[in-house]
Amino acid sequence: MRFNHSGIKVGRTRLEQPMMDVWSHRPQILHLALFFAAYVLGCGFAQALAIVPGITVSIWPPAGVFIATLILTSPYSWPWWVLAGCLAEMTGQILWFHSPPLAGFLIYVGNALCAIVGATLVNRAFGRPVRLETLREVLAFVVLGAGVAPLMSATVGSATLAWFGVKSQTFAGVWPLFWIGDATGILLVAPLALVVIQHWRNRTKFSAVRWVEAGSLGLIFLGLAALSLKHDFLLSAYIIMPPILWAAVRFEFKGVAVALTLLALVTMTLTISGGSQFVGDPETQRQKQVMLQLFLAISAFSALIVAAISRQHQQALLALRDREQELSQLVDMVPVHIRRLTPEGKPTFFNKRLLDFFGMSDIAQLDKPDMNRLAAAIQTLVHPDDAPRLLATVHTSLATGESFAMKYRMRRADGAYRWVDGRGEAVRDQHGAIMQWYAISIDVDDEMRAQEDLRDRERELSQLVDMVPSLLWRLSPNGEPNFFNKRTIDFLGLDVADYDKPGASRLKATLTAIIHPDDAAGMIQTLNRCLVSGEHFSMQYRLRRADGLYRWVSARAEPLRDESGHIVQWYGLAHDIDDQMRAEEALRGLAITAIALNACRSLDEVLRTITDRAREIIGAHMAVIGTTVDQRWAQAIQAVSLSQKYAAYRGFDAKPDGSGIYGLVCNLNRSLRLTEAELKDHPAWRGYGGHADQHPPLRGWLAAPLIDSNGQNIGLLQLSDKDQGEFTAEDEGIAVQLAQMASLAITEARLHDKLRLAQETLARASQAASLAELSASVAHEVNQPLAAIVANSHACQRWLTAEPPNLDRAQKTVERIIRDANSAADVVSRIRALFKQSAETRTSMPLDSVIAEALNLMAEETARRRIRLDVDVESDLPLVSLDRVQIQQVLVNLIRNGMEAMDAAANDRLLGIRTRRLGDVVQTEITDQGPGVAFSDRIFEPFFTTKGNGMGMGLAICRSIVEAHGGRLWADKNEPYGAMFAFTLPVEMNRST
Amino acid sequence: MTAHDHIVFIVDDDERIREALGELLASHGMRTEAFGSAGDYINADKPQVPACLILDVELPDINGLELQRQIATGDHPPIIFITGHGDIPSSVQAIKHGAVDFLTKPFSDADLLAAITAAIAQDRGRRSERAGLDALKQRYLDLTPREREVLPLVVSGLLNKQAAAQLGISEVTLQIHRRNVMQKMAAASLADLVRIAEKLDIPITHSRRAGGSRA
Repeated sequence: MRFNHSGIKVGRTRLEQPMMDVWSHRPQILHLALFFAAYVLGCGFAQALAIVPGITVSIWPPAGVFIATLILTSPYSWPWWVLAGCLAEMTGQILWFHSPPLAGFLIYVGNALCAIVGATLVNRAFGRPVRLETLREVLAFVVLGAGVAPLMSATVGSATLAWFGVKSQTFAGVWPLFWIGDATGILLVAPLALVVIQHWRNRTKFSAVRWVEAGSLGLIFLGLAALSLKHDFLLSAYIIMPPILWAAVRFEFKGVAVALTLLALVTMTLTISGGSQFVGDPETQRQKQVMLQLFLAISAFSALIVAAISRQHQQALLALRDREQELSQLVDMVPVHIRRLTPEGKPTFFNKRLLDFFGMSDIAQLDKPDMNRLAAAIQTLVHPDDAPRLLATVHTSLATGESFAMKYRMRRADGAYRWVDGRGEAVRDQHGAIMQWYAISIDVDDEMRAQEDLRDRERELSQLVDMVPSLLWRLSPNGEPNFFNKRTIDFLGLDVADYDKPGASRLKATLTAIIHPDDAAGMIQTLNRCLVSGEHFSMQYRLRRADGLYRWVSARAEPLRDESGHIVQWYGLAHDIDDQMRAEEALRGLAITAIALNACRSLDEVLRTITDRAREIIGAHMAVIGTTVDQRWAQAIQAVSLSQKYAAYRGFDAKPDGSGIYGLVCNLNRSLRLTEAELKDHPAWRGYGGHADQHPPLRGWLAAPLIDSNGQNIGLLQLSDKDQGEFTAEDEGIAVQLAQMASLAITEARLHDKLRLAQETLARASQAASLAELSASVAHEVNQPLAAIVANSHACQRWLTAEPPNLDRAQKTVERIIRDANSAADVVSRIRALFKQSAETRTSMPLDSVIAEALNLMAEETARRRIRLDVDVESDLPLVSLDRVQIQQVLVNLIRNGMEAMDAAANDRLLGIRTRRLGDVVQTEITDQGPGVAFSDRIFEPFFTTKGNGMGMGLAICRSIVEAHGGRLWADKNEPYGAMFAFTLPVEMNRST
Repeated sequence: MTAHDHIVFIVDDDERIREALGELLASHGMRTEAFGSAGDYINADKPQVPACLILDVELPDINGLELQRQIATGDHPPIIFITGHGDIPSSVQAIKHGAVDFLTKPFSDADLLAAITAAIAQDRGRRSERAGLDALKQRYLDLTPREREVLPLVVSGLLNKQAAAQLGISEVTLQIHRRNVMQKMAAASLADLVRIAEKLDIPITHSRRAGGSRA
């Protein structure tokens, strides 16, 4: 419907609106003209059939044209059609009916009302557009359009005719004819009009067969019509009904329309020509007229009804076919493989997709001669690995009637196998008997591959987690361990199932079991604190390995939180730092050992320290060190350190003879590390010798040779019975280092011992010369005979002065006096001889070496007295002949005198020693910064002393020694203060020149 | 002084000294006995007469000062030290521990004889004093237990009735005990008894004043 709203101007009244619509809906002139023509022709047709005198018309086709036109057009355009119809009717009146104009107009008004009411009712009844395709539509059309509507025209028309007395008709007489005539006109023409108008453009094309059928039908129809309607041949006009119904069934409304038109034309022709059954004498004419009308009406009615039924049936068929097509399309197009199987399992249908998948055109291609179709299909189309399983599953389901589902690989047309997810289910009838099996499969290859990839990735990840060289674990937020990687499980030797049991006490018990007792409490406390506070956990502790050894680990754990910050899991990692810790510990141990060794003053102490430390650092129950002198085992010294475990063996001190495995290490100068079994199997192993019953057992053996600075072996360090496990390469390294330290310390201790021995020798010499000791000795030696002499003298005197004098006793006492006096003289000569006896021990040597030795021996005392030495010894001193010990005594005495002289001095305690050649002598001056010498001549006399505890013999003896060597010793003042003692020794002329 | 009422012991490792001292003292009419070592002296039987000991500081077994220390607790004669070389610490130690003299060899006969004379006189006095005390001790041992209870109360100066009350006996009984004590202890007077008690180290345990200290 076209509305031209843009043409509506503002200010127009509402009343103008319908008028504008009517105007805008004006039909095309052509249509109006056609309508006009059809109406007029209809009028002519009616006039032609109006064979009965006194009756206007028997059939009124314009009513059909009119009502069909109004049904198909908009009500807004109806005024135009009504106007056109009026003009056409009036034209017809003028041409054929010749009624009075007013009567003609009134009759038209009735006709118009009939068309308007009919069209309105029909449209109301089933809306636009009217298609007359269902039985209901046809019935409505017939009842409302052909039944009800003509009541209007019949009433108005009959009344008009009666009113005007046209052809002397009565209302009652003409009304039925009028009504039937209009109804027949509507039934005959309206369908034709509707069909023609509606299908004017989309003409359906008939196949050749249809055309032949249509042609044949047309001929039969015409023939029958001609014969039946002629009263001569056939008894009833209704013989024509079968062809009409045939047309209705086969060609529906088009056929009906054409057939009815033909029938009307034939009837009209025969009636006009007078050959029709409906032509009769004037008495029966009226009757015949009614019969004609009824014949046409019933024919039209029947044909329309049958056409409608046929149409409806056709449409139902079409719809069914559509649905079937849709369904088949669905089955073929849905992206699922579908097959149907008989209850016995024979595949009877594959959908198109499945056929395409397999590259087959027909399911029958699967058949093989000696195999059922199911087995053949599975064998041909399913991956060999999956076929037996699938066949078994399907067979099971067929037997039990249960649905099945499994994943398997199907071979695609290109030969590639694709994973599918297959399912089958039985369809049962009301009694539960299986009618069909429907099975589908969905391509899940990508998913399967994705899953496989996922599994691969998962496995890879899991491998990573297991292979990463750390202990990984996961805890629930409340500290429950719920995952350990394989390394952890292997390390701890856990049964994972143990940890599935919940319970905090279990956790604690577990931790207590696997953590070193010294660390467990602290670790649990720290862990609990972290669990509560969410802090990162980081700690080092010892974990018990499956073999029972404790290993240091460094552990860390961090919480994983969700978006709201709640802890979801704890992830923990621990890695073994035992080697590192042990290395550090060993390093520390070595450092401590080095310090401890420095403090050792004797070889015994060194050996004891080394064995104890070695045992502690390496962690063994037994450490033994054996040292040899000049590689001789006979002088071997042993130090043994044993733990409490071997306390019973502490008394054992048998020395090895060096023939066995000890000797091997010493001879090779190489460390050796053996387990107990390896030791017992070693070719150099000779057992425990004769001490088998006393020797502590050697459970594993680690030995490192002791090597001095010259590369000579001086013994070995041995360890046995490690606390935990066997000796490792690291232990061996440590043992070698300890042995190295021991070697150095032993070498040093031996040097130290030598030095000590030298010092003791000197001390003895020095003691002999030490002033207090010497004077005490001399005094005692001299005073004893002196005291006896005095006492005897007094006794002698008493005997001689007695009354009477006792001459015998006096004589005796005098003899004793002589004896004792001689004895005193001997003492003096013995002392003199003491310093003379060494003439033959003199050797030629440079004095500087003697001075160096003396200083070396005095070094400790010099340091103790905080004396600074200023030594100036001329190089290339000539050789002098001297008794080394005596000259050393002189030097020591003079140096000690100088140092003692400075004891009280507050100033710089500087002792100067200067040696140089002066002509034929080598002169040595020893200067101090003490108070100086008051009596520079007397100090050399025997028994002269300036010291509180001296006897005054030292300098006298020194002078004796120097003079015995042909030199001179004197004292002088030192500038600016202090004393200077100098002595000379003659140069050995015959050698030095 | 006769050769028999005293004796001089000589300990010196040097035979010449032993001979010479023996000769000298013999010339003065003294009886001597000489030993080569401290051990010989300790083990020897010694007559119970006033004596003195001439002791060398330097001896082969134990030195003289050590010997002095060892015998200090017992009954021994006064000591005169002689030494080849005397030092001040040794002499101070010797005198402090009761030595009569410390002579350095060679010494004069006068010094030696003076020392010997003093030593023997000291020993004689000591001996008689010890003999008196022994007698007193013997007398004290002769007292009955009750009399030994009465003695400290009496010498403390308690009145008879106080002492009687202290012991829970009658005054008359106490007087009898007191008389017996005086007789047995050979005390001429109460003052004499007090002196004897003092020699016997009998403590004064009571005071006459009532409620006095019992310490």
